[in-house]
Amino acid sequence: MSTFLWVIVPYLTLAIFVVGHFWRYQYDKFGWTTRSSQLYEDKLLRIGSPLFHFGMLGVVMGHVIGLVIPKVATDALGISAETYHFIALAGGIPAGLATLAGLAILVYRRRTTGPVFSATTANDKVMYLLLAVVIILGVWNTIAGSLLNLGGHYDYREGVSPWWRGIFTFRPDADLMADAPIGFKLHALVAMALFAMWPFTRLVHVFSAPLGYLTRPYLVYRSRDARSGQGTGTRAPQRGWDKPELTRKR
Amino acid sequence: MTATSDQTSPLPESAGMDSPLSAALVGTRRFFTKAGISPDQRSMYLEGGRSGDSFYRDRWSHDKVVRSTHGVNCTGSCSWKVYVKDGIITWEAQQTDYPSTGADRPEYEPRGCPRGAAFSWYTYSPTRVRYPYVRGVLLEMFRRAKETHGDPVVAWGSIVQDEEQVRTYKSARGKGGLVRSTWEEVTEMVAAAYVYTVKRWGPDRIAGFSPIPAMSPVSYASGARFHELIGAPMLSFYDWYADLPPASPQMFGDQTDVPESGDWWDAAYLIMWGSNVPLTRTPDAHWMTEARYRGQKVIAVAPDYAENVKFADEWVASAPGTDGALAMGMGHVILREFFADAQHDFFTRYNQRYTDLPYLVTLDEVDGEGGDAPAYRPGKFLVAGDIDGHPEATSENAMWKTAVLDSVTGEVVIPNGSIGHRFGEEGAGRWNLDLGEIEPALTLYGAHEESVEVELARFDTPGGAMSTERRGVPVRRVGGRLVTTVLDLMLAHYGVGRDGLPGRWPQGYEDPSVPATPAWAAEISGVPVEQITRLAREWARNALDTGGRGMILMGAGTNHWYHSDQLYRAMLVLTTICGTQGRNGGGWAHYVGQEKIRPIMGFQHLAFALDWVRPPRHMNQTAYWYVNTSQYRYDTFTADEANGSPGAFGQRTTMDLLAQSVRLGWTPSYPQFDRSSLAVADEAVQAGMPAGEYVARSLKEGSLHFAVEDPEAPDNHPRVLALWRSNLFGSSAKGNEYFLKHLLGTDNAVKGTQAPPELRPQSVAWPEEAPEGKLDLLVTLDFRMTSSTLLSDVVLPAATWYEKHDLSTTDMHPFVHSFNPAIAPPWQSKSDWETWKVIAKRFSELAADHLGTRTDVVAKPLWHDTPEAMATVHGRVLDWAEGEVEPVPGKTLPVLAAVERDYPAVYQKMTAIGPLMAKAGMLTKGVKYEVGREVEILGRRNGIVRGGVADGQPKLETDIQVADAMLHFSGVSNGHLATQGFRFLEQRTGTELHDLSAEHEGKQITFADTQAAPVPVITSPEWSGSESGGRRYSPFTINIERLKPFHTLTGRQQFYLDHDWMTDMGEGLPTYRPPLDMSRLSGETPLGEQTESEGRSVALSVRYLTPHNKWSIHSEYQDNLFMLSLSRGGQTIWMSDVDAEKIGVKDNDWVEAVNRNGVVACRAVVSHRMPEGTVYMHHAQDRLIDTPLTETDKLRGGIHNSLTRIMLKPSHIIGGYAQLSYFFNYIGPTGNNRDEVTMIRRRTNQEVTY
Repeated sequence: MSTFLWVIVPYLTLAIFVVGHFWRYQYDKFGWTTRSSQLYEDKLLRIGSPLFHFGMLGVVMGHVIGLVIPKVATDALGISAETYHFIALAGGIPAGLATLAGLAILVYRRRTTGPVFSATTANDKVMYLLLAVVIILGVWNTIAGSLLNLGGHYDYREGVSPWWRGIFTFRPDADLMADAPIGFKLHALVAMALFAMWPFTRLVHVFSAPLGYLTRPYLVYRSRDARSGQGTGTRAPQRGWDKPELTRKR
Repeated sequence: MTATSDQTSPLPESAGMDSPLSAALVGTRRFFTKAGISPDQRSMYLEGGRSGDSFYRDRWSHDKVVRSTHGVNCTGSCSWKVYVKDGIITWEAQQTDYPSTGADRPEYEPRGCPRGAAFSWYTYSPTRVRYPYVRGVLLEMFRRAKETHGDPVVAWGSIVQDEEQVRTYKSARGKGGLVRSTWEEVTEMVAAAYVYTVKRWGPDRIAGFSPIPAMSPVSYASGARFHELIGAPMLSFYDWYADLPPASPQMFGDQTDVPESGDWWDAAYLIMWGSNVPLTRTPDAHWMTEARYRGQKVIAVAPDYAENVKFADEWVASAPGTDGALAMGMGHVILREFFADAQHDFFTRYNQRYTDLPYLVTLDEVDGEGGDAPAYRPGKFLVAGDIDGHPEATSENAMWKTAVLDSVTGEVVIPNGSIGHRFGEEGAGRWNLDLGEIEPALTLYGAHEESVEVELARFDTPGGAMSTERRGVPVRRVGGRLVTTVLDLMLAHYGVGRDGLPGRWPQGYEDPSVPATPAWAAEISGVPVEQITRLAREWARNALDTGGRGMILMGAGTNHWYHSDQLYRAMLVLTTICGTQGRNGGGWAHYVGQEKIRPIMGFQHLAFALDWVRPPRHMNQTAYWYVNTSQYRYDTFTADEANGSPGAFGQRTTMDLLAQSVRLGWTPSYPQFDRSSLAVADEAVQAGMPAGEYVARSLKEGSLHFAVEDPEAPDNHPRVLALWRSNLFGSSAKGNEYFLKHLLGTDNAVKGTQAPPELRPQSVAWPEEAPEGKLDLLVTLDFRMTSSTLLSDVVLPAATWYEKHDLSTTDMHPFVHSFNPAIAPPWQSKSDWETWKVIAKRFSELAADHLGTRTDVVAKPLWHDTPEAMATVHGRVLDWAEGEVEPVPGKTLPVLAAVERDYPAVYQKMTAIGPLMAKAGMLTKGVKYEVGREVEILGRRNGIVRGGVADGQPKLETDIQVADAMLHFSGVSNGHLATQGFRFLEQRTGTELHDLSAEHEGKQITFADTQAAPVPVITSPEWSGSESGGRRYSPFTINIERLKPFHTLTGRQQFYLDHDWMTDMGEGLPTYRPPLDMSRLSGETPLGEQTESEGRSVALSVRYLTPHNKWSIHSEYQDNLFMLSLSRGGQTIWMSDVDAEKIGVKDNDWVEAVNRNGVVACRAVVSHRMPEGTVYMHHAQDRLIDTPLTETDKLRGGIHNSLTRIMLKPSHIIGGYAQLSYFFNYIGPTGNNRDEVTMIRRRTNQEVTY
């Protein structure tokens, strides 16, 4: 069971995540969208959306620090456990709470604004549920484990983080998760469910974040590129409509 | 680089970046890309990456663009581009290639509206009729019967003779159950029903209805040609729609002729009076905006803050139905200031020559009340034959030549141009408006010997009953008769006094007690005295300053009332006395359901099969349904009570008057006699007499009766009705619930009671029970599901307007253009032409066994523009049934013609041009044309039929051939014919006319031309205006400029109507008549009163108007997804916030409107732009969208016409008298609908069920 949950499921999730995005990009380019509801409502959105998205950036940063950077690295830099936890909590809790508050506003808005609710699909609802559960569990783990010390001390940097890195280094070790508190386990499992669903939801917009806009010149001119058989049109030549060869090729 | 070169650089310095932050960010890009970056960092130059373009380019790519337009009832007649991609119609866009109007004026382009742009939705919509459908129960019966009997005709007979079966399938109408059948089976059933009905009941028991041919005459002609060939009447539409303004035939002797919208530009002063231009004339509305840039003053008269009011400089908010009073108030001011107190040459010259103002009218003494000075009543026009010893007294048609007083010689003289000159040999060259040396005296005042008091009618009481009062006119004695002029009568009638004349006169403009002062008009209409006076002065002054460039756009708001003829006459006084008629930029512009089929001559001759058989059977539809849906039985009043004219008709009802009108040959009536018209022909043969003589004798003896005298008898009511291009039951059926009850025999909401014995017609049989379900077969051809298809026994899938060839014209623009198929008719649909060909073919096959060749006696009313219009001398009614005269066909009876019906050859005749064209020529509006040349051309173009009855005749097989034939047989599209017609007319008028079309004599518009682009038409005697030299069309310009008489008694525009019925009704002169008082006539709750009943919310009595809809053209488009989205969607009633408050209605609440005629259940739109006391239910909102069950009777709610019913006005069925003579859609009783009232209340339960 442990192997299934902490070895098979992660790889399945990864596979779905990667192949799913590839598939979606190939077959649903016009559906690759956030399906913005800004047209229907913008007052709540103006507060909720930045709160959620910037909070989420903080959360992602926190995960990068917590999961990617091994304990040995911080130790080597001479950062004590207390300092590390102080940094983690000082950054993590505001970010987590901001995300949670943003999400609450967005969900409230989605439910109470008629047109926005009408534009909400079943897919969205499941995705929101998973997202909310993951965030709540994450915040709970942070608060419960590190602040309130409920359920005894657990250093995820000795359990969850190596396990996670093991997935990507192809040395998965299910045992590393054995001692993790139930909160961490659930957080990881629901997160994997969310990642498995990811390619089929509006979350794909994460990969289209318009970062390039920050440095893009105001005007972009695109001249036609030379493609064989093409005259002045922009479309690729259609089958059966090749232009006659007027001069013999040597 | 030097500083100098910098200064001369044409390029401005770069604006730089927006901020240091932007500069810092964007400035980094050049380090990470190979693309060129401009020195100022603002631009980037990439190559390629454009493959995504193909997505949006493909979206708008297409395989072909086809010219077409939108049919039937849209007067816009805009040309459209229809786009096709992969064999699918994808969208449409406006054509832009209208011919130019010339320099210095705007163009017709752009034309179009959101409705037209939404049409392609229908092609593949869920409401599309894709297959032939028959009601299941009927189809089963027919299949069973056919199995039993074999012969389909016998099978049909076995069904309709079986009461049980009849009840079953008729009561199932409108309740679903339509099942798919095949073309073969359906055509057989329909053809069998036709053959059976002709055989058993006679051809006139069948009727066909299709409206407004102008926007697809070929489709109209398809069924019309078939029906006329078998002898079935075609039902009229213009009068039935109440779009026909009877004032036009009454005053102008013309059906309707109006300026094109391009001529609005020419007007200096323009009044939109009950016509909501941007809403109902959307493609033309741009002219209104443009004309304002030219300095035109625009006035809008409307009870509500209508859409067109925003174009106007002034809004005149008159109360609904009081426009006549407003017009008279303005008339009073003009007559006072520009005729009585001062005279202006411009007005005097115009009225002397072009109006009947100077014509002499005899005054008849009224039996005086004791002691009073003798009073007189305006009587008949003085005619030559009245004046003993006058040189013209014994001339030809002397009783038809009206007289004036020459103010130079003081003699009574007979000017040229009256109807007496129009016909007969002596009149040749004299039917013109040339006055020669004559100076007609407009008034006798000043030169008069004496003055007398005349009794003048007024109707301005709330109940609308007539009272009379006396005012004086100057008179003269002519051969023992007391006479005065029409102007003198009009001045007295309008209360414009002159010194020394006796009688009751107003004290000035502020005196409201006497018509027609501004104060009097203000009290009735609610328009301030100041505004009335000022508008009148502006109107007349503008006419003087501009030479008559003042125009009134009149619309359905003023034209759909019971008394609209009077209302219009009062408005036409303004346009006519001020000399604006017959001018570019002047005169009346009646924009109500225009149906100007410009190539009218070719259309009429082909549609009514006049190339094979004459005369046709034409029926006015209002009377048809008044009789055949038994609505006359619900007239709980006499004709006098309805018309407020005590003593005019005694105890007779409107139905009595209709019966009289029919037997005198004034108005048509089919079914014709109390037995088959084929049987009557056989009887005549047996009696060895000509048909006419036999019928006259039998009628006199009483062995033969008109069917209208016993309309409920099974022998006498219609049996089969075919509808195509028509949604009778969703749109025009005034008294919808009576149709459902008596005609169709299915669920209905009629609440009215039938007349008690003392109010029943005296000359018409009255069985205690009127039949329910008179019709055996209702067939509808349509491309979408409508109220009519739901009620029909058979529904045939029709091609849409993007799937067939046809023509389109309108009076809004001067072009003829075409319909063309963008795709072939999909699924199993067929064009109307193909459908009727298929039915005709099967009919002919079945007819071989059952009908053969028969003789048919056609009773045709006395026609306008023929000598038959001189049947009733002086308009004095003499009835052969009363023994006052002998029954003489064509004089005191209808014209009776025996014609041959070769039933097995109907298909052959339908698909070939008949021999009468070359043999007898064509006759349109009194002008004769020889068309041997055109027949020969068409024979070469279309090919010649070999063998059969049509041997040697040109083929007429395809829709294009029909369209081409119409264009060849019409003057507007064939310069030879136009010129020929003018030359014919010249012999009668003695004036030059043919030069009007000579510039186009060699021009022939063909169908191919109309496919390439809209083509301007040629000036032709078919119409009254000149377009020569590319001029904008305005009616009557030929009459005014070329002295061609109007087609009236006097040959002038006629204010005074001296027919017995007109003067008896008090309508000899234009008069204000209030809306009908429905509480007095029909027991409705008086307006403004509220009632409460147990368990129901409060109900309020309101005026119920059904104006046109912004989101539909009649019922078309109102079910279209795009229009449903733009509008509220589904049926709605608009009401004011004040009324809504009274009955506790909030916007979008469900309300219910109930009166004696039926029930409507729909949502309320509460708007402050509505006036208090009036609700609008936009016309023709079909029952298909969001119509719940009612609280009143738990049946499905009705349509707008569920609350209306037919109110037939007697003066509209006058005939046989000059311009008051019948022609199809020229004159006839209007299906008016504006006078209705209803109770409206909020639904107690807002949760509706369906």
